[in-house]
Amino acid sequence: MRYSELLISLALVVAITAGYFAMTASVGVPAASSLIGHLMGVVGFTLMLLTETLYSLRKRAMRRPRGSMRAWLRAHIVMGIVGPYLVLLHTAWTFQGLAGVLTLLMLVVVGSGFIGRYIYTAVPRTADGAVIEAQELTEQLTALREADAADPNPTTDAARREHRSIEGRIRKLERQLTALRWQRRALATWHTVHIPIGMAMFVVAFTHIAATLYYATLLR
Amino acid sequence: MKTRPLGCMTFSALFFAAISAAVVALAIALSGGSIFSPGGLSGWTQPDSAKLVSTGGVNSHAELAGRCDACHAPIWSGQKMGDRCVACHADVAQQSATGAGLHGKLDANAATCLRCHTEHHGPDASTTLADPMVFPHDQTGFALTAHLRPAAKDPVGCRGCHTTSPSSYKAPDCVSCHTKLDAAKMATHTDTYGAACRNCHDGKDTYGHTFAHTTYALTGKHAGAACASCHKGSTTIAALRATSTTCATCHAKDDIHQGRLGQTCGSCHTPASWTGATLDHATQTTFALAGKHATAACETCHVNRQWTGLGTTCASCHAKDDPHQGKFGSDCASCHNPADWKDAKFDHGTTGFSLTQAHATVSCDKCHANNHFAGTPTNCAGCHASQDKHNGVLGTSCEGCHKPTKWSDNGFNHSAVAFKLVGAHAGVTCEKCHAKAPPASTTTTCVGCHAAQDVHKGSMGSVCETCHKPTAWLDVTVDHNAFPFKLTGAHASVACSSCHKDSSPKNTPTACASCHAKPVTHDSNFAGVCSSCHTTKAWTPAKFDHATTSYKLTGAHMAVVCLKCHAKPTVTFAGAPSICASCHQKPANHTGAMGTNCSQCHTTKAWSPSTFNHSNTTFKLTGAHTSLLCTKCHKSSTTFAGLPTACAGCHNSPSSHPSFYGTTCTLCHTTSAWTPPRYAGSHTFPMTHRGAGSVCTKCHTTTLSAYTCAKCHDPSTIEGHSGRSSSNCASCHPTGSGGG
Repeated sequence: MRYSELLISLALVVAITAGYFAMTASVGVPAASSLIGHLMGVVGFTLMLLTETLYSLRKRAMRRPRGSMRAWLRAHIVMGIVGPYLVLLHTAWTFQGLAGVLTLLMLVVVGSGFIGRYIYTAVPRTADGAVIEAQELTEQLTALREADAADPNPTTDAARREHRSIEGRIRKLERQLTALRWQRRALATWHTVHIPIGMAMFVVAFTHIAATLYYATLLR
Repeated sequence: MKTRPLGCMTFSALFFAAISAAVVALAIALSGGSIFSPGGLSGWTQPDSAKLVSTGGVNSHAELAGRCDACHAPIWSGQKMGDRCVACHADVAQQSATGAGLHGKLDANAATCLRCHTEHHGPDASTTLADPMVFPHDQTGFALTAHLRPAAKDPVGCRGCHTTSPSSYKAPDCVSCHTKLDAAKMATHTDTYGAACRNCHDGKDTYGHTFAHTTYALTGKHAGAACASCHKGSTTIAALRATSTTCATCHAKDDIHQGRLGQTCGSCHTPASWTGATLDHATQTTFALAGKHATAACETCHVNRQWTGLGTTCASCHAKDDPHQGKFGSDCASCHNPADWKDAKFDHGTTGFSLTQAHATVSCDKCHANNHFAGTPTNCAGCHASQDKHNGVLGTSCEGCHKPTKWSDNGFNHSAVAFKLVGAHAGVTCEKCHAKAPPASTTTTCVGCHAAQDVHKGSMGSVCETCHKPTAWLDVTVDHNAFPFKLTGAHASVACSSCHKDSSPKNTPTACASCHAKPVTHDSNFAGVCSSCHTTKAWTPAKFDHATTSYKLTGAHMAVVCLKCHAKPTVTFAGAPSICASCHQKPANHTGAMGTNCSQCHTTKAWSPSTFNHSNTTFKLTGAHTSLLCTKCHKSSTTFAGLPTACAGCHNSPSSHPSFYGTTCTLCHTTSAWTPPRYAGSHTFPMTHRGAGSVCTKCHTTTLSAYTCAKCHDPSTIEGHSGRSSSNCASCHPTGSGGG
């Protein structure tokens, strides 16, 4: 199914929300510093950290691939939705100081992730998810143009059909190449937003964790 | 394809990370750490203004503002947050140290401040947010277990009880609150146990609605009784526990027995009801109630409710009912049992006359007519004389034969007397033998009873049992060996009547001929003593021991039938000739030459081959001679001895032999074969010389001792031999070739 990862994410979010409301109804909104609050923060942040590192590593592990890129992107999306949602619940709806900034950064990264997902999936790929390079398309195009130039004025019916077919494929490849160039530019632009903001978010998150450990645990 | 670096390792990512870190560091520096604050500090102040001065120089935590280190001590200071708390709140520190006040009671110290106190929840929030679920209220002497979930449906907060004095937390007034919940119950409860609830209640509901009255189980009417009816005035647990559990403590005033039956009410009564008391008559009195006693109304015996002092003998109650008018004494129980008067079980054995078998089931009046018990006779005839089928013949000791089971069960043990009943005797009726005389004088001899049946008419005497057995007359087993004529062999299995034609065996003759007729094959020569040839084992074959005669039977003679020899010309045994020829015809091949002394050559083993040993004569038979018929050489019976042994005696000189060959045949011939001849003597000249071919006459023309070569060789024609003799060639030519 095309949006199965979104459905899985939605199911998990609904399940977590149900549990959260059940708890809210019995003992009130769980404080960020309560057992449940801390649990949600730790699990959510771990998921966020995993979705970033594991997916990035897989993207670069072309020589020894483990699972298809498509499956890893789906896992990245599910963890990238469920993790931040748990962290959002961890805030106990208080947005103050560094933690408030961190929440804002997180929302921006998740939002940009949604957009990036659609740009990313528009890039043509081989069956196992490897990116088809523009060079390959150019090579295919050159080969077809040479085949076309060898017999520019065919006389037989069969040859004319072949000629039309080749010209059709040339036009399709030219369109793909144009689209690929645009998509590559868009993806590069998106990377300059998603990744630096993500980095800033992780820097602030680790600062937040360090401060929590220092004030609430070490100095307690 | 070129491997791109991880997204976080790109220049832009690392640059942004560095920028972020710098911004955060700057923010921390500028805010003094307050960017980590999870919320504003509490502005709550002590209501008691007198304490304002002593708490760290501020009226509220909010006044500390961004001074995080006021509570969060730097790590290098070695202090924890609780240490910072008590640094300002000296009064709390003192309570902890002395054990006084609330903090002293709760065993609070610097490490446990956070259990009840919190911060960063805004300027309006209280610094005391003790969770009743966590607050160790039991340390105050009263647990909140029963006031919180899940024990309580509507849990109370701190102010729920501590309404008037939230700061001092004085002991609250339970009654006012619980009266609102159930006024009627509280009214009764306080009336019974007083208003000092915490005398008994510890907040865990130990003595609440779930209390199990286990030390004294409340059953029957006790279960529904008001607590006050027993526990009235008990205002402490000790007093409650001290409540007496004996019946009399509470019920003495209700005793309708007025103390006559003691104070152990429970032995008859149960908490279910005062009425319906159940007395175990067996264990609680000396008289167990059995049979009809168990179901009889108490007043049947305890007339006029006289419960004690009653007699326990039957007569004490039943004397007036005695239908025996006292004849059987007062020990009713010796016959009667409490189940039923009529179910009387008298042990007749105690009278000396045990009732067994058929006696046990007859009604008493069968013997004890007219209720006459004492003096009833105990011998059989006393009752049964009129029934004697023997008409007194067998006496009056019926029990000698009869058993009490029934008359027909006549079990006289005849084996105990001298005449044992075996075989057919065991099945006959007693009267068959005993009709003529009483048992004691009945004869024991066979003829005593059976004389009239003697088919032998006395001829066999009177000792029938010599032959007959008691099983049946015809089951006769005679030991014939006891008689002079013993039965052996085939005689043992023949029917007696085969020999004993009439019924007087004594007169039966013993000679064979008296029974066995002489066969036609036997003429007058048979003496008549059959047994000299025949045995009782079988008539044939006869077994005559021929060895007792002068002619022993050997070899083939042993197998021939007697008449083969003894019937020629007529059947004759004694004086039969013993020479071979009297029986054996001279064979044709003997042509009469061998005479009649057959045994010289033949044995009884077999007629042929004859077995004369020629080696014992002067002429051994060798070679072809061994297979010749005797008559080839021995032409007549007179020519056995003295026959010539020379070859020529039998063999004629052939016509081919010249006369000078002579009669010494063995010079050239052997018994193996007549031809071909083989000269066995010395012959230096080769016999196969040229045309000679072993034919003697080629060289020897006149005599065997001289020779001539002239038949083939003429000296006159041979160079240098002119004039030489033809009879001396071998002197120079010993091998017949060349010159010497």
